[in-house]
Amino acid sequence: MSPPSKALAEFVAEATEILEALGKDLLVLDERRGQEADPERVNGIFRAAHSLKGLAGLFGQERISRLAHGTEDLLDRLRLGKLHLNDAVLDTLIEALDAFQALLAETARGTESDGLTRRADGMAERLGQLGEVPVAQDEDPLERLELEAQVRSVFTEYEEHRLRENVRRGVALWRVRAAFDLSDFDKGLADLNTRLKPLGEVISTLPSAQPGGAHGIAFDLIFGAQVSRMELESGLKGTPAELSPLAVRPAAPSATTRSAEALVRATESPAIVLGAIGVASAPEASVGGSTPVKTGGSKQGARAAMEDGASHPFTDPDSDTELGETGGSAEATGTSGPSLVTYLQGPGGRAPGRAVTPVAAPPVATEPSLRSLTQTVRVDIGKLDGLINMVGELLLIKASLQRLAESARQEGVVPLSKLFGQELARETRGLERKLEALQEGLLEARMVPVGQVFDKLARLVRRITREAGKEIDFVIGGGEVELDKLIVEELSDPLMHLIRNAIDHGVESPDTRLAAGKPRRAVVALRAEQKGNHVVIEVSDDGAGIDELRVREVALTRGLITFAQAEEMGRRELLNLIFLPGFSTARSVSELSGRGVGLDVVKNNLGNLSGIIDVWSERGKGTAFHLTLPVTLAIIRALVVGVSARTYAVPLNSVLEILSVQPREIRTLERREVLDVRGQTLPFVRLSRLFGLPERPVSRYFVVVVGLAQERLGIAVDELHGQQDIVTKPLGGRLQSVRGISGATDLGNRRPVLVLDVADLLEEGLALERRRA
Amino acid sequence: MGDRPGRAHMRVKVLIVEDSKASREYIASTVEAVEGIEAVVTSSGFEALKLLPRHRFDLIITDINMPDINGLELINFVKKNPNYRDVPLFIITTEGRDQDRDRGMALGAAEYLVKPFQPGSLEGLLRRYLKLP
Amino acid sequence: MSRFAELLDDFFFRPDEDVSGLQDFAAGSDGVASSTPEEVPEEYLSFLLEGESYAVPIRLVREISKVPPLTEIPRAEPHLLGVMNLRGELLPAYDIKVRLGLTERVPLVAGPDAPAPPRDARVLVLRTETGPAGVWVDSVSGVVKLKPSMLEPPPPGLRLGDKDCVVGIGRRGPSLYILLDPEQALTP
Repeated sequence: MSPPSKALAEFVAEATEILEALGKDLLVLDERRGQEADPERVNGIFRAAHSLKGLAGLFGQERISRLAHGTEDLLDRLRLGKLHLNDAVLDTLIEALDAFQALLAETARGTESDGLTRRADGMAERLGQLGEVPVAQDEDPLERLELEAQVRSVFTEYEEHRLRENVRRGVALWRVRAAFDLSDFDKGLADLNTRLKPLGEVISTLPSAQPGGAHGIAFDLIFGAQVSRMELESGLKGTPAELSPLAVRPAAPSATTRSAEALVRATESPAIVLGAIGVASAPEASVGGSTPVKTGGSKQGARAAMEDGASHPFTDPDSDTELGETGGSAEATGTSGPSLVTYLQGPGGRAPGRAVTPVAAPPVATEPSLRSLTQTVRVDIGKLDGLINMVGELLLIKASLQRLAESARQEGVVPLSKLFGQELARETRGLERKLEALQEGLLEARMVPVGQVFDKLARLVRRITREAGKEIDFVIGGGEVELDKLIVEELSDPLMHLIRNAIDHGVESPDTRLAAGKPRRAVVALRAEQKGNHVVIEVSDDGAGIDELRVREVALTRGLITFAQAEEMGRRELLNLIFLPGFSTARSVSELSGRGVGLDVVKNNLGNLSGIIDVWSERGKGTAFHLTLPVTLAIIRALVVGVSARTYAVPLNSVLEILSVQPREIRTLERREVLDVRGQTLPFVRLSRLFGLPERPVSRYFVVVVGLAQERLGIAVDELHGQQDIVTKPLGGRLQSVRGISGATDLGNRRPVLVLDVADLLEEGLALERRRA
Repeated sequence: MGDRPGRAHMRVKVLIVEDSKASREYIASTVEAVEGIEAVVTSSGFEALKLLPRHRFDLIITDINMPDINGLELINFVKKNPNYRDVPLFIITTEGRDQDRDRGMALGAAEYLVKPFQPGSLEGLLRRYLKLP
Repeated sequence: MSRFAELLDDFFFRPDEDVSGLQDFAAGSDGVASSTPEEVPEEYLSFLLEGESYAVPIRLVREISKVPPLTEIPRAEPHLLGVMNLRGELLPAYDIKVRLGLTERVPLVAGPDAPAPPRDARVLVLRTETGPAGVWVDSVSGVVKLKPSMLEPPPPGLRLGDKDCVVGIGRRGPSLYILLDPEQALTP
């Protein structure tokens, strides 16, 4: 069976995430059976089912889509008050989650069992038939609310229902108006929502259509308050919010089939009702606000996900998989749900079933550093399957080697056959290649998108900007570019440093900018881009730029460079002086647009990651720092050479020296070419001849002398292109038998550049020599 | 990289507001498959509000049910604002959400698409509204 | 919908690639899917080699790529055109024209002396037992559905080179497709 495609793997990963969220919310509902359900939680579950339906439809996963459709439908009726959440409904939802997980497991395996299809379809049907019809209302309470039709026209059906519910219950309704700066209104609104949440229900958030000045925006929040006006006002103190009540006309007393509760409340005046509701709904509010969710609290969620390592729930799709799989373990880790691995381990591939436990992170409070609290990397199951397959192949090689060892032992002192030696060499080479592939695969599993750290930085930038009194648009790009997890983690501090510098010092104050004829708002940008084996991250601003003459002056004053050195330096070199230790001090900070605050530290941090930093700046235009980083830490330094217009890379660790040789210096010894180097005869090959490439006449060769252990070989090439850090990808799969090439790398132009296998070439070169000798 | 801030793009820009990642990527890939269109995507109505003044969008595609501000509110905002009201707006709805869809159309959305839809139908609408060949 | 998703799934590659023709083709094939229930059609990807129509089962095609820069591998078997870098993945690219007796010599498509590849040329990335392998084709024609009743055994008069890699002929209306076993076609 072919492995699931990338797109399918993406589907499984995303569906897993949705089910995790759904499971968590269901767990909470399950634990609070008998209490009135929090409308936001029900809406959250609805949204999850809705997303799942859309996702499944998109990927043609019809079984999941059908069941999600049924689930969504039921939840829609629930959240719109057309259905009551009773035990039967809740149990069915939990069963549905179960079925979803079983379906997803089959999808991931690329199978589809009839039993499960029937079960899921039966369940979808059952979902549709469920439910008691709540008492009908013969009058729409919304008619009594004095709210402009225009405002009502932008409510979704759900929002309208929530508004109706609030009116029906006699909850005091408010219009909370607040204006914010366009750049950080989401922060302001989030703050406002945090304050409002414990005081009632935010029914809708409407952006005001009136342009709120050049950079402002106003919002109307429709809010159902569970507290008095005074409490509401004090709760909103310090925010830009303005309150105005929404009037509700009393209900007509002639209504017939209204429930007693609604009747009593609706006929009372709002002021009195307010108190009554406040008391009545207090338990619900406090539960929602503060009670921590217990991991094993419910009967459904109690059983831990990991306890059953050998017989996995997914081995039999019809077995009793329990809800706790998602909800329980997700709560246990405290941060994120279990990785995909916990869902799909075991029977998903040819892999032996082995439980992989997600690393549980201690619930640490937020730290000033942006580093992740977890050391966890989410790994696509397909990648892990690939790795496990490689281990399988390694085991085969091990078996062959064992067999060879055994036969060698039995033959005792009898000289071993040539065939034996060849076989041993072949197996060893296979072992080596597989190990390389395994290493490669493991490195790939460590890759995460750099956006992880970008998003965290964006949150901090808003705060710093405010503190600095600047007006800044923070632009992010290339967050999808992937780097080794470790590198991404180590990047957060240097990047923060550079961005803080840009905001604090690089960018001018709004007034200064206006005076200089620039837009009032500055732009600070953070962008990542992959270039070959490297990722370049740029931190730029459109501020005042760095004055390189001042840099020169400071460096001279501090004795960091001599006057003669300074004379030799170009603009770019002068700018790069800011990375010297001892360059930056408080004085230079204020005098040089602040550049240079601890930049030597930043440079060192990057150096530890094999990265380099470069600076560009133009007076009045801005400054940009370029951080060039290896994609993974599996980087080797290589000598890039040219032969017959082809490019090859030679690992530098096996290069001893490079000689420049004229054709006449090449001697032929027994029909074999050699060189005399410092009185010694050096075996010598022309790479073009060895590789059968068209030879081009050259006036001199470069001879790369490579060596391993005691062996030496001179390899003649046409050109030297310098040194470069490269990541070697093995020539796996069908190309394993290629001689003299260990892999290929990308030097940035998408054309693979072959990496010479020095050990192979040495062996070959020397074998040639022995044969002729 | 290398782009200094403020460089103008000459291509047609389409804003896509959709909170579901899968749908968003599906829509974006459909939009980007049309020659000459640049897709700007965001997962929330809030982000859309922030993006509006920073770009000149030629068309907006929005979902209705989203967590922060809903799609109807976004349509209303766009249609009431003199800077954006001429930008055609498509809504993406789900089967069965007729009331939401009708409200969106009443607020001034130009077209609606019901999920799941064929890329061809969106592509046709894009070409028509953006006057692409 | 699901058929389109599958198609996307199997053929998603570079965003700059023009796949509109393929989509039209697939959309067209939707309409003719009405067949007797016991006749399950299989989808094939059809392509041209030296003007002749060939096809391989679509489940064996991982993706279709424009021809990226190829690097020749010194001292490799002649039908190995070179290696290519497909989004960071290193893949071999092969010629099967010589194997099929369509040309005498492997065309020069890799290395510094190779001309730019023709506009319509593509590399099909096929799933093989020994890992993914690229195969050079002159152009991709589209997806074709063939029911078992449309398949015929290979005609006896085939050129020598074809013998074991041609598994049959697909006949759909006036069109004929030579059905290949990629595994065999890639054996030197």
